[in-house]
Parts: sequence; C-alpha cells; structure tokens
Amino acid sequence: MLTVEHVSVERGKTLVLEDISLSLAPNRTLTVVGESGAGKSTLIAAILGLAPCTSGQILWAGAPVRRCGPALVMQEPRSAFNPVLSLRRSVMEPLTARRARLDDNRLKTLCDGLEIPPDLLERRPAQVSIGQAQRVGILRALIGAPPLVLFDEPLSALDAVTQKHTARLIADLQRQEGFAALIVTHDLGYAAAFADDIAVLRAGRIEEQTASRAFIDAPQTDYGRILRDAAFSLGALERVA
Amino acid sequence: MTLQVTGLSATRSGRPILHPTNVKIEPGERVGLVGSSGSGKSTLGHALIDALRTQGRHVAHVPQSPDEALDPLRSMAFHWREAESARDLPADTARRRDLFAALRIEGGDLRKRPWGWSRGMQQRFVIAMALIGTPDLLVMDEPTSALDPVVAAGTMDLLDTYLATRQTALLLITHDLGLAAKRVQRLLVMEGGRLVEDAATMQVLSAPQTPAARALCAHRNWLELPC
Repeated sequence: MLTVEHVSVERGKTLVLEDISLSLAPNRTLTVVGESGAGKSTLIAAILGLAPCTSGQILWAGAPVRRCGPALVMQEPRSAFNPVLSLRRSVMEPLTARRARLDDNRLKTLCDGLEIPPDLLERRPAQVSIGQAQRVGILRALIGAPPLVLFDEPLSALDAVTQKHTARLIADLQRQEGFAALIVTHDLGYAAAFADDIAVLRAGRIEEQTASRAFIDAPQTDYGRILRDAAFSLGALERVA
Repeated sequence: MTLQVTGLSATRSGRPILHPTNVKIEPGERVGLVGSSGSGKSTLGHALIDALRTQGRHVAHVPQSPDEALDPLRSMAFHWREAESARDLPADTARRRDLFAALRIEGGDLRKRPWGWSRGMQQRFVIAMALIGTPDLLVMDEPTSALDPVVAAGTMDLLDTYLATRQTALLLITHDLGLAAKRVQRLLVMEGGRLVEDAATMQVLSAPQTPAARALCAHRNWLELPC
C-alpha cells in the first residue's frame, strides 16, 4: 500500500506541493487530474524520490517507497528510449540495474498481453509506431514485477482509437499482475472509465478526492465542476440523462 | 461562395498518400476531418489549403501548437502587424479590439513576446490572427490537444460564438470523434489516404458505413467502452 502523508515540496522559494495525503492499495487505480502547473508531475517525481520532500513522508508497506522499486511509464513514447539501443536492451535495463535474471516466460506473457510481436524488440525506437513504442514502454515498466507503477500522461501522444485500446491492455495487465497504478492525466474521460478514484490537484493542493463515478455525477468543489463540464464540452464524456 | 476542390491528390517519394478526392464546403459550414494517426487527414487538410489558395480563396490555418505559429524572439505586436500585412491590410485598431474581445485576450500585453503570455492565450491570439480579414475557411489541426481541457473547451466556445454570425467555414482536423461530434455538422472520415465517408455528423454517429467510421464511433468516448 502506498501512503503519502502530509507531503510538501518546495522548488526554490515556491511551494509546488502543499500538504498532500493520498493512499493507494495494490490492484487499485488512482488518477490525478488538474491543470498544467498544478503539480502533477512533481507528485510523480516526489514518489520516485527525484524531488525531495520538504516535509511529510512517502511509504510503501511502511518502508521508504524507493525500496519497492516503483516503475514509471512516460508521456512521449519514442523519446523515452535510448535511440541507438534496440528496444530489447532498453526493456532489460530495469533487470540489469538490479542484476536480476530475465524470466523468458514472463517476457513472453507480457509481450502477448501487450500485443508486442517478438521481433519488434529487435528494432530501434524510431523504427516502430508511437503506439507500439508506448506498449514497449509499459513492458519495460512491468518487466521487473513492480508493486507500484506510475503513469505520466501515458495516452496523450496516441490517437483516440489507440488510446482506448492501450487503456484496456493496461487494465487487463493490472488484473493479472495486481500492481497499484497511479495515473497522472488531463483526460477526465480516461479517469472516469478506468480509475477507482480521482484526486483533483490545483495549485499544489488536493481540492477533492472521490470515487471516479461519483465525481462524474457530482463533483464536490467548484473547480471539480469546471473540470467535469470541460470534459463534457470536449466530447470526452457523454452526459447520462 | 461554395468552396470546392475536385480530384485532389498527393504523392510522397512516388507513393500516393492521398487518392483523388473531391471536397465541397458551404459558406459558414462546420466540417470535421477525422481519422486515426496516418490516415491522411492532415495531408488532405494541407492539400486543400494549397488548392483553395491557388483558386484565390482566403484560407487561414491554425496549427496544433502555438509554438509552430509564433516566433519566440518577436513581440506579439510584431506578429499582429505581420498577419495584417500578409493580407495587405492597413493596421486597424478597431479590428484588433474586436477580435481580441471575441477571444477574450484584451488583457494581453502586445509588447511581450509569446512566452510572456499563457499558453491558452497564445493559442487564442493565433486564432485571432487567423481571423483577420474574415477568411473563407479556417482550418484547425488538433486545436485542443496542446491545451488544458478547461482552456481548450473555453477556446472552442469563444470560436463557436464568433463564427455563428459569419460566413467563415471551419474545417476541424482531429483524431477525436468525440470532440468533432460536439463541434461540427458534417464529418469527412479518412482511412489509408482515402476519403471513405462524407455525411452529416448525426448520420455517421448513428449509422457509420465503413470500418474506419465504425472504429471511430466505437471509441468515441470513454464511458461507452465495455470495461
């Protein structure tokens, strides 16, 4: 279980995150939504230990979160890989770093689940489509069987059909693997369809945190309502009569 | 006057990337050009802009991100003057005031460079520039994807209100059928460099005729997915 307790992060003299508390259990999905500059990416950096907390603590099962080896799926699929290495080399990095051995069966199961044909991993990032590159990004995140996976806008570079297909693959793998997923996104439609809970981040603070369907029906704050109405007006959600 | 192009096609390195296509757009009409990545929708959009400009029509283009339209080293006033002189129009304070009011960017400081403005305001400034001289057609390529949903929805609402009383037609190029369904009356569906469907939005949504249109409809919005 991930617990974020009263975490604040400062950059220079600015408070980027202020008194954030969250919890996330295995097999559950939490999305963090909010406008640009709200602190969504800083929250991910703080959980990964890349942005030091000025107060509070972040734990997994009571121990510092880094010890559980959390994985990250990045926004821009192709630039998330070293361009001169084969995708296979990049996918092996999390294992190489921990001197762990590759379980061929696990690689095969994950490739099947992510619809990655075996020869695709021999190519370089520029030789695959963006959708394929993002599926390989997910493969790299999951290869070491992390209990916690962070997704930073995992779908925003993909087209609508590929977005929904990829979202489904992530959800299916989560059911098999049981990892806890924390997803940062702009897209309230994605959050509503695939997450258990939604946390609304604004100017470094959590405005509200509720079950996702309940949020779509009745946001509790003015800003939550503005976000939901924008999603309706952009066609990301359909109003249920 | 109706905008019309027949037999439009394009090749890249000898390979056809746009098969011969006919497009007709009425004044003031709002049309969506939809399809997945690589379906050829941007190619058709660009070919259409070139062909209509060759006919002497006034076509304005708003790129996906304001970064593509604005020079980071030049002031906003410079960009505005360039846009006016590109249309051979003298500087006109009243016109600028009207367009700035329509897109709610009156508060922007023209002496600043693009990065002195928020991203949402930059995008609305680019749209305002495109509307100088009331174009026959405004082409927007994924206008919302570089913006926050709240900012994007507000921008599209302002544009809708502005276009409602004018003859300027809108061509909205997007992969997102949900967005198009909210904003346009007619849809052009692209697949493999071909225009495979051209019908009223409601008709495409209720009875898509081709696999490409059916795929887009099935993925139109998140809550329709069988989860």
